Amino acid sequence: MSNIIFAENLTLWYEENEIIINGANFSINKGDFVFITGPSGSGKSTLLQSFYGKLQPNQGQLNIGGLDMSMIKKKKLQELRSHLGIVFQDYRLINEWTVEDNVVLPLWIAGYSKKVQTEQAQRLLHHVKLSGKEKKYPMELSGGEQQRVGVARALAKNPFLILADEPTGNLDEYSSNVIWDLLENACQQLDTTVVVVTHQIPTVFNIPFKHLSIDQKGTVYEVC
Amino acid sequence: MKFVKNHLSIIFPMVAILLGLEFFIVFDRTTKNYEESLRNSYAMLVVSKEEMSIDDFKSWDNHVFKVSEIEKSKIVNRVSSTFDKSLNKSNTLQDKMPNFYSIKLNSYLNKKELEEVKNNFLKSHKITRVETFDTLHQSNYGLFSFIKFAFSTFIVFMTIIGSFLIIKQMEVWNYMHSQRMKVMNIFGASLFLRSKVLINMALIDAIISAIFASIIFYFIQKSWLKDSNIRIIQDNLEKLFTFSDIFILMVAAMVIVMTAVILVVINVKEE
Repeated sequence: MSNIIFAENLTLWYEENEIIINGANFSINKGDFVFITGPSGSGKSTLLQSFYGKLQPNQGQLNIGGLDMSMIKKKKLQELRSHLGIVFQDYRLINEWTVEDNVVLPLWIAGYSKKVQTEQAQRLLHHVKLSGKEKKYPMELSGGEQQRVGVARALAKNPFLILADEPTGNLDEYSSNVIWDLLENACQQLDTTVVVVTHQIPTVFNIPFKHLSIDQKGTVYEVC
Repeated sequence: MKFVKNHLSIIFPMVAILLGLEFFIVFDRTTKNYEESLRNSYAMLVVSKEEMSIDDFKSWDNHVFKVSEIEKSKIVNRVSSTFDKSLNKSNTLQDKMPNFYSIKLNSYLNKKELEEVKNNFLKSHKITRVETFDTLHQSNYGLFSFIKFAFSTFIVFMTIIGSFLIIKQMEVWNYMHSQRMKVMNIFGASLFLRSKVLINMALIDAIISAIFASIIFYFIQKSWLKDSNIRIIQDNLEKLFTFSDIFILMVAAMVIVMTAVILVVINVKEE
């Protein structure tokens, strides 16, 4: 199995005397579904942010899709990001754009034709059960619906890796289950690697998963 | 409504700045002409014991542009009625008269500078008298300078107000566009792509502003100024607004908005 994410002695900090992730060693393979858990302030989100290059490793090695993140150039980082799907707890939708425009953002960035964008938007919005809401604006949707738009956007370009930071943190149980189903399906049907940062692993989860846990000292353990 | 407000809040200060710029261009263009005509119509009178050449005058003062001798016979003819006819007939008067020169200068000088020119001439023992006519000269120049100063102050004031409004709009742009630009950055968009929406909007506003400013000036020229009785305006009516000014305003508007856009874009933190 090929490594999608590989970390060796990975250390992250914002200030040198406050280490967030301390010498983490783990690997994530293609098609894995991975939960990263830990108490508040343990560095779960920081670790996830390092996967999409928001911050670079201060020590050790971190490879994402074969790219060394400690030496990655801006251009390469842009290219890497265009092949990732990222889901945020606060959705991060573009409020002045319609639902359809938000969903096809990765395709627009990649320069796909309007026709391809429209077709993909229809397909994805049907998939996340938001057909008919193409022309609505994010603020006209509920939190659960906005997060489904966020997931649809993450899936738009068939990414090799989906990174989700507390995707159900702001949602009720029903909406949370819908999001888990969508992420499960992406992993199972498209063989996409999914890494989810969460406080709590859902009680009902239908596919095998890996579990990384971070303690208060920033040490990463592979639970299962 | 919000869309119109967003555009107007940049178009309005831009038009103010462009009008200021166009006023400056037009004022500079017309006053140059006016200054030239004032310079051309002004001359000093110099009286000398001996005949002089332009080089003599230039050697005393480098402001000298043109020297023409006033024919003695003309002076005698003009004043002949007040003199004894016998004197006139014998040409004695002409022979005894000094030489008169009308001197044009190469630039428009103030009272102090004219006094300096006068003193430079009087250093020569050949020159007996210099008349600068500085009272008339200064009244023209003083009025002209005052109008120029008042106009410049108005233009600077307009530009400052316009710049403040643009800075305010830059803050609005930052608030409106930073979230979208950050999201696009996360999904791998290049800097150009992230700024594209803002650039497009700003360029459209720049073009609209330049067209507005041009229309305003065109109408000022064709209706209001055409009927004015101000000589300087009437003399330069065609020069008040030329076709090339539209391009100058367009380029200026684009430079201003693009500077504003670049400042906004580099202030958006990358994630």
